[in-house]
Amino acid sequence: MENQNKNNPLSPHLQVYKWQLSSLLSITHRLTSVINTLGITFICFWIIFLAMGEDWYKYFSLFSNSFLGKFVLIGFTWSFSYHLLNGIRHLCWDLGYGYEIKTANLSGIFVLTSSFILTLLFWIIL
Amino acid sequence: MKNIAVTKWILQRVSAVILLPLLLWFLFIFLNLVKQDYQNIVLFFQDDIKFIITLVFLIISFFHMKIGMSEIFEDYIQNSRYKSVANLLMTAFATVLPLLTIVSLFFIIK
Repeated sequence: MENQNKNNPLSPHLQVYKWQLSSLLSITHRLTSVINTLGITFICFWIIFLAMGEDWYKYFSLFSNSFLGKFVLIGFTWSFSYHLLNGIRHLCWDLGYGYEIKTANLSGIFVLTSSFILTLLFWIIL
Repeated sequence: MKNIAVTKWILQRVSAVILLPLLLWFLFIFLNLVKQDYQNIVLFFQDDIKFIITLVFLIISFFHMKIGMSEIFEDYIQNSRYKSVANLLMTAFATVLPLLTIVSLFFIIK
């Protein structure tokens, strides 16, 4: 252990990394960006199926109206909501606001909570 | 624009700001339309303004995605050859899929 302390610090290894809210939300931002790529691909296929005509579109609606389809759609809704809200947080940082640890933690909790509320709103209003 | 990294950084933020209202609008529309029947969806896209906003949303979101993905490759792919292959594939994907979708949109309203 003593020997280890003398070594130079390494970049965070995710397996032994002590999780904090800030890092957790940061990696979630990236994770949702990848899920959003799948989401936008799903939307593109929705449009492509529409163009192929009503007969083909039936297969798409069969999926999107199924239990799995609903689950996937709600998942995408949350992923887009989170990335959008946390994106605003990032834009604020880019403008130079909200860097204090207390503020960053508060805005993080706000974004996480709001992402679920926004998802709920999308699915209740509709 | 001397530095490509600076240009990318700025373009990523500009596209993000444009996408904020567009994504909210499109997500609301999409989740609403996906439950409706075929004729209603076609009717929606036959509105010129809605059609154009959808096009703009698609193009900018793929643009934003392409920059973001190459940023992720930059961080996680060490081998520069693999990195350029990944970037090439992502560029192809971010060009072909939106193009195919836009052509499909024109087919829908035809």
